[in-house]
Amino acid sequence: MRQRPLWLLAPGGALMILVILLPLGLAGWISTIDLDQYTLRRWVQAPFIGLGNYTESLGSGLLHSIWISVSFAVLSTLATIPIGIAAALVTQNAYRGRALVRAVFLIPYVLPSFVVATVWRTMLQPDGVVNNWLGADGSLWLSGPRSYWALILVEIWAAWPFIYLMALAALQSVDHEVHEASAVDGATWWPKLTRVVLPYLRGPVLLACLLATLNHINNFTLPFVLFGAPAPDDVNVMPMLVYVTSFQSLRFGLSAAMAVVSLIIIAIPLFAYLRAVRLDVHEEGGRR
Amino acid sequence: MRSRKTLAFTSILGLTLAMAACGGGDDSGGSKSINVLIAANTQYPQEQQAWQKSIAEQFRTQTGADVKWETFASANDELTKIQTSVVSGSGPDVYAVGTTFTPTAYSTKAFVTLGDEQWKQVGGKEKFIPSALGISGPDAQNQIGIPWVGRPFVMVYNTELLKAAGIDKPATTWDELTAQAKKLTTGDQHGLAVAYKDNFDPWKFIWGMSAQAGNPIVDGRTARIQDPAVQKAYQTYFGWLATDKVVDPAAVGWTNSQAIAAFAEGKTGYMALTSALATKALDAGAVKGKWQFALLPTVPPGATSRPANGVEAASILSGDNLLVADYSRNKDLAFQFVKLITDEPAQLEIYQQLGQLPSNAAAAQSLQSDPKLKVVVEAQQKSVATPFSGAWADVQLALTNAVVQSIPDLSKGSISTATIDGRLADAQKKAQSALDRAK
Repeated sequence: MRQRPLWLLAPGGALMILVILLPLGLAGWISTIDLDQYTLRRWVQAPFIGLGNYTESLGSGLLHSIWISVSFAVLSTLATIPIGIAAALVTQNAYRGRALVRAVFLIPYVLPSFVVATVWRTMLQPDGVVNNWLGADGSLWLSGPRSYWALILVEIWAAWPFIYLMALAALQSVDHEVHEASAVDGATWWPKLTRVVLPYLRGPVLLACLLATLNHINNFTLPFVLFGAPAPDDVNVMPMLVYVTSFQSLRFGLSAAMAVVSLIIIAIPLFAYLRAVRLDVHEEGGRR
Repeated sequence: MRSRKTLAFTSILGLTLAMAACGGGDDSGGSKSINVLIAANTQYPQEQQAWQKSIAEQFRTQTGADVKWETFASANDELTKIQTSVVSGSGPDVYAVGTTFTPTAYSTKAFVTLGDEQWKQVGGKEKFIPSALGISGPDAQNQIGIPWVGRPFVMVYNTELLKAAGIDKPATTWDELTAQAKKLTTGDQHGLAVAYKDNFDPWKFIWGMSAQAGNPIVDGRTARIQDPAVQKAYQTYFGWLATDKVVDPAAVGWTNSQAIAAFAEGKTGYMALTSALATKALDAGAVKGKWQFALLPTVPPGATSRPANGVEAASILSGDNLLVADYSRNKDLAFQFVKLITDEPAQLEIYQQLGQLPSNAAAAQSLQSDPKLKVVVEAQQKSVATPFSGAWADVQLALTNAVVQSIPDLSKGSISTATIDGRLADAQKKAQSALDRAK
């Protein structure tokens, strides 16, 4: 094989170092120093405390927050998959008004998170419309145990169109011949859907699951606007905890340690997932 | 192919040059200027712009220098700006920061400590309301904050409802307030509006009631949250909704502006924590012409008179201080600017345009003739500073958190002393650990 011109990757590589590796390294370093409002001004001289921030972060509710974040993210993703795929199937074939339906489906995704959260916050008030509909006057959605389900509910409402978009894109890529072939073979709609169409969706939807879960975990605006800071313990998700630690308690070292710990804890299952589902769409396409 | 490469190369070059230009110094050009960072006023944005323009013109006539305004939208924005400026040693010359944030700013040691010379430059300490200087620094020799505007807290009450209930004057003790609120609660009418879900209101009640009972919550380097005075404060605050039932049950979801909106509908006797800035919202509601401000009670709950060691805290010392950055290369100009906006004419101007109360004593004096404002100006004079500690942010967070976590119990209608004590123990631990780290 001819020598490939790998040096062409240099600009991209340099940018990656600058944009990803340097800040990551900096975060790693900050997590080992006692950086707070007292030492911020001479931050280079802030005292080195080794793993001190890490031990403190484990003792200050971080694991609880990671658990809430991960479970909330996984549940939200699981709930959005059937909705997203069903919506994609409904808008796959042409019919009158399809463009309108497609546009309407995108509304939750297009609205800024801040707006979504503000509207839901109003609706979920103790004397708000949601309780009026349910006839459960005065029940709490924004505090206490139910706030966790309120967070998931709103996240599902705001995030399902992402799965829908990915599934729709995958459906568009199903070759016309495949539809014809299954028609010739006399396949009815159900076997056609489960044996022919859905396998095409596997790659893109698995990728969408990954991206959606990461988006849920990183969502700060939604819980912040819905519940405010300090958040109720039931929805003290990781971004909220890190926010309060850095911007209200001003413990930058501690919050950096929290971020690093969560990165590691989330990276492990992520890696396992990537290995398990082998998201190499091209390879799969080649085999087909 | 070649042309594409050339294009790519030139665009990268262009980008690099642009980045280099952006990173360049801030004091290019011949004419002098200073940068000023203030909070964006979301309530009166146009008025604020007009005010900025007018001040900039006055400053130019006085000094020949320009004012470059920067605004921040939230406390978070402000903090990020302060952080980056402190770390890089460049940024705004003058900062306007909230009073309770001043101790945190002080602990960064990034602002000019005001000596006799600096105070002289801004027109002397005497020109300010004495109480407004309460949170300028840990002691008189180490002050960094120059009082700019005040936003003292008061109560607002519905004159018609109070009259109908046979109450001839608003409450002056917390017990009296509870009793009056009970009298005012009938049918769909409630005695009191309280913003239980606000991110800041709860700690102001707790701190005020405790300080009146003689416990300022932070005593040197010791947190005193596990204390009968604090416990009584929480019991009273929760009791309004849970046991006295004088607050609309929906209040467990209210922020301050929602509580004001509820009061403005005209079916609530008192709204317990607001400021002169609410005037516009009140006049837009059904209570127009039927409301009055009153001082918050200054006698602690469970007492008929204030104990000897209690302070007459009618409000936390609330408003904005001006800080001059230590790294500033235009300090003289910065202090001239501070003098301009704290002198009487500019102080009256900002009150007229934006409703912010003066910290300038002469300006405050001239406002007292307005009967509506008399109470507010008095509240400002009777404001007491919250403890000056770099750990205060954590303390107020812990006090608020105790309320946030109690809301489900509160909504069920009962919150036991044991539950309150548990939350107080947790808050005490967090506050004390923050105080232990204070340097």
